[in-house]
Amino acid sequence: MSDNVEKYIKRKVHKGMSTKISQKFIDAGLEKIRACINCGTCTGSCPSGRRTAYRTRSAIRKALTGDESVLEDIDIWMCSTCYYCYERCPRDIPVTDMIIKLRNIAVEEGFILDSHFTLASDIFYATGHGVPANDPEAHKQWRALRESYGLPPLPPTVHSYPEAVKECQTLMNEVGFRALLDNAAKLKAKRKAEAEKIAKEKTEEEKK
Amino acid sequence: MSEYKWRYAFFLGCVIPNRYPMIERSIRDVFEELGAEILDMPGASCCPAPGVFRAFHIPTWLVIAARNISIAEELGVSPLTGCNGCYGTLRDAWYDLEHNPEEKKHVNELLAKVGRQYKGNFEPKHVVQALYLDMGLDYLKDHIKHKFDDLKVGVHYGCHIVKPSDKRPWHGEYENPQFLDEIVEITGAKSIDYKDKYMCCGAGGAVRTAVKEVAADFTREKLVNMRDAGVDIIINCCPFCHLQLDLGQVEVNNFYKDIIGEPFKIPVIYITQLLGVAMGMDPNRLGLIKNHDLKGVSPFIPIDRFLDIVKEQII
Amino acid sequence: MTETKKEIIVTGKEKPRIGVYVCHCGINIAGVVDVVKLKDYALTLPDVVLAREYKFMCSDNGQSMIKEDIEAGLINRVVVAACSPRMHEPTFRLVCKEAGLNQFLFEQANIREHATWVNMYDPEGAYEIAKDHIRMSVAKARKLLPLEVQKVKVDPSCLIIGGGISGMNSALDLADEGYKVYLVERTPTIGGHMAQLDKTFPTMDCSACILTPKMVDVGRKEKIEIMTYSEVVDVSGYVGNFEVTIMKKPHYVDQEKCTACGSCAENCPITCGNEFDLGMGTRKAIYIPFPQAVPGEYTIDMEKCIKCGICAREDVCEPGAIKYDDKPEYVTVKVGTIIVATGWDLYDPTELGQYGYGRYPNVITGLQMERLLSSFGPVLGKPVRPSDLEAPHSIAFLQCVGSRNFREGGHSYCSRVCCMYATKQARQYKEKHPEAEVYIFYMDIRAFGKGYEEFYESAAENFGISYVRGRIAEVREGENHNIVIRAEDTLLQTPIELEVDLFVLSCGLEAKADADQVASLLSIQRSADGFFMEAHPKLKPVDTLTDGIFVAGVAQGPKDIPDAVAQAKGAASSAAALMAQGEVEIEPYYSVVIEHLCSGCRTCQSLCPFGAIDFDEFKKIAVVNPALCKGCGTCVSACPSGAMVQNHFANFQLNSIINVAVKQPTVENGGK
Repeated sequence: MSDNVEKYIKRKVHKGMSTKISQKFIDAGLEKIRACINCGTCTGSCPSGRRTAYRTRSAIRKALTGDESVLEDIDIWMCSTCYYCYERCPRDIPVTDMIIKLRNIAVEEGFILDSHFTLASDIFYATGHGVPANDPEAHKQWRALRESYGLPPLPPTVHSYPEAVKECQTLMNEVGFRALLDNAAKLKAKRKAEAEKIAKEKTEEEKK
Repeated sequence: MSEYKWRYAFFLGCVIPNRYPMIERSIRDVFEELGAEILDMPGASCCPAPGVFRAFHIPTWLVIAARNISIAEELGVSPLTGCNGCYGTLRDAWYDLEHNPEEKKHVNELLAKVGRQYKGNFEPKHVVQALYLDMGLDYLKDHIKHKFDDLKVGVHYGCHIVKPSDKRPWHGEYENPQFLDEIVEITGAKSIDYKDKYMCCGAGGAVRTAVKEVAADFTREKLVNMRDAGVDIIINCCPFCHLQLDLGQVEVNNFYKDIIGEPFKIPVIYITQLLGVAMGMDPNRLGLIKNHDLKGVSPFIPIDRFLDIVKEQII
Repeated sequence: MTETKKEIIVTGKEKPRIGVYVCHCGINIAGVVDVVKLKDYALTLPDVVLAREYKFMCSDNGQSMIKEDIEAGLINRVVVAACSPRMHEPTFRLVCKEAGLNQFLFEQANIREHATWVNMYDPEGAYEIAKDHIRMSVAKARKLLPLEVQKVKVDPSCLIIGGGISGMNSALDLADEGYKVYLVERTPTIGGHMAQLDKTFPTMDCSACILTPKMVDVGRKEKIEIMTYSEVVDVSGYVGNFEVTIMKKPHYVDQEKCTACGSCAENCPITCGNEFDLGMGTRKAIYIPFPQAVPGEYTIDMEKCIKCGICAREDVCEPGAIKYDDKPEYVTVKVGTIIVATGWDLYDPTELGQYGYGRYPNVITGLQMERLLSSFGPVLGKPVRPSDLEAPHSIAFLQCVGSRNFREGGHSYCSRVCCMYATKQARQYKEKHPEAEVYIFYMDIRAFGKGYEEFYESAAENFGISYVRGRIAEVREGENHNIVIRAEDTLLQTPIELEVDLFVLSCGLEAKADADQVASLLSIQRSADGFFMEAHPKLKPVDTLTDGIFVAGVAQGPKDIPDAVAQAKGAASSAAALMAQGEVEIEPYYSVVIEHLCSGCRTCQSLCPFGAIDFDEFKKIAVVNPALCKGCGTCVSACPSGAMVQNHFANFQLNSIINVAVKQPTVENGGK
């Protein structure tokens, strides 16, 4: 097979709309997404879009038309939730909320960055804090810093109340957060294995 | 109890107590000095962060936020936060639950499993909101002892203190808010207008955790604009912006050293640190003078320059 | 076919014989409920002697069915179960009338809007509701009484409120048809917004060149009485017979003596912003709005005047026309019809903080741009930017400012003129400065009128105007007061940043700020967009819901000049049709006094909002003037002795409906 076949021949024609993603917005009461007229106010307002490949309007458009590539794209994680798009949309679409919802759907499908997974599972779920100070070694200096300002080494938060951590974990289990993370981990692992398999097959083919 | 004019439940969040305790100290001290009682919220957790955990799973975000608010409700006062992110979470969750009885019912069913109940009868407030709307500029002015007439300040609002504006107390103003500038200027300092003043610091929305370089590029742009305008210090009202502008400054100096020219070294100061020192409080306790030998702790950009400018006034 | 039928005498005393006609309305009704079952149900109701169903009762065939049944003497009352009476009550009344039956022996059950449309997905529920409506209509039909319509004279005169291009056109047409016209204009001159425009799209006619001759025409017509600097303060009466009070605001200049020589303005020491130029030009405290103003009357702006007395000096005003103690004058006129042509305000973009209007000097509105382009404007048609009075090298226009904006404070509708006026202004600037860069940022270009698409195409092809598909997100001020624009080029899917010398906001049109006061003054309605509401969006576009009052131009909704003129001529035509008839029928729904019950307490007289009740001092009883009574029912509910009866809505008629609303009377239970 000529290299040019892979390089130039794409045969990619959009086969119409799919409601697979947009239905989830509608189920969550966010049917406003359908009112988008693609004016670009959101993208034009976006400080992230001025330095990254993230395009607010395009992400919304892909979600609406069912282009699932939007879920695995890291671009939607480049939104800093500054809310300018939300404030200025002439159709009064809560754009930032739409992006947040889109990320929820991505996580459901197992598209979550390793750093985010660690933060969610190993830090937030485990300690109740997103930025903790309770590690005996790693956080020693932060506790000392607290004391230098006359504050107790650990704040009166979950850090001082182990039962409160349990309470948060109970809630997170009940609301499905643990299951969501576990499922995401599983899907991530599966995708990784598949990708490795394809890569391996390809190298073997090349060897031949 | 009766000598206090106001009472708040202090929602610490994560970054303030665990990375910038001098901000916690300054809020506690300044509020005490202004006649506001600060109550601890035992067992409060991460708010949880609106652009991060909410982006993973909205229902988790909502129920944990409701749990946090319910701790303040037990104390019978409004939760008070010094963090824009926590403010975003507590206020948006409060707003959403008040406008969606079905969701409120569901959240309470979950909370019942840990013996809690969410009522929604106390409005979550930001430190700046308490200062500006509850106490008012005139009240604050009466407590100012030192005026920093030579100080040029780059004010950074951050995002979630003003937006989404329909869930904030600033009458829909989000393009050109002035409240933080006004508080800064009662200290005699001058708020310097700079390009894209209301732009995001870059840290929020899980961006910093995802790709530090992207967050730092936002920060770079802000720092360039502030330096071009000739600011002496940065004043902000959010510990995560604070971290991004402070630690992020070190990162910008590293990632973008080829395009920024001189490395940045602009002191980053939280609003109650500035207010406290203007009110005649001890700069040591406010975290404006380094009084320890700890390594690798905040602030990451030295703030001596601030004291150099104001020392004549505070001596 | 149209031979006069013998009149069927119904006094109301003979036994009712009701015919019920159930309409399928295509699938609008029959697609949801079983119309045959409804027909059978109707037959179970008391006094119903026949029932039929048909595809379209309003069609010729449907109407004939009713006529034939009446003429055959089968029925003496008619119930049609179909659409809203607002739609076809007049149709079926005419059927009765033509068949010789008194038209008020007809009742319409609305089973479309009230049953099948709103309960489209609940056929069983819709069926039950339809039954209820038929049952109630039959109950009322049993109690109907024949009534005679009233006729009132229509005064052959018209009040036109607003002297813009719409009001002027209505006035000219009516005057040419021989009717007396009072043209009331709030500002000191007629001409309206069109006088502010330089050229008009797509033909590029000079606005002043086509407008000023019309203004002069209006001024010359004997039949037209222009009342400028005047406002309508009170309207009473009814169709054909309105009484209107107009306040003529004091000019502080005696218009009889003034020769419009202009010496006063030359000598006036006070210079202030000229409203006509939207603050971009100046005028004196004593002024005429612009040179071609009609009438060319000088006015003193008392808010600006310092009463220095210079203009009153004999050497300045030789005829001695200055009158500092001038007072408002009130005149009352009687007119048969009213045309509302009050026009529009420009959307104020100040609250859209992201566009910097009011904050940055080089951000202006489209109407300000129009004044800059105008050859008799503040810069004589050589546009400059406000910050340095230099001709801009680059201009960006932003479309849909305030329009198509569903946020609070914005307008959801399309203003219909901005795409074309921006294209026109851009072209005009390019004609003068071919080297300039001109951008138009848009969401959609709506070039729908005759010649508009061609105009748009030529603007891009022949004039090189750059159209960028993307709504500008924000602007800030760059160096030298330049405006830096941020947007997305949605077709490139790329954020763009662009620095221009001048930024023009193509603001939309909105209802006049005081439209609510005008609406309550005239008892007319407004639609959700704030503009005055037409009686029917398609079939009665120039009528209001108040008889004898018509609406023209942008007062009814955003329009370009051709559409505004067309509607103005339509309104004039409708008003003329009414006046040409000389008299108009009024529904006989007025109240009548049962003399022996009236105690003469005068409660009704004090409550009547239309002043329709007089007191007979000899008999000591209330007397209703049928021509003034609007049938509102206030007196009926207020009368302590039950002496007031409102025709067609009498208590015994309404009670008959209420009685069956919850009960199901049948022939078996004797109709109880």
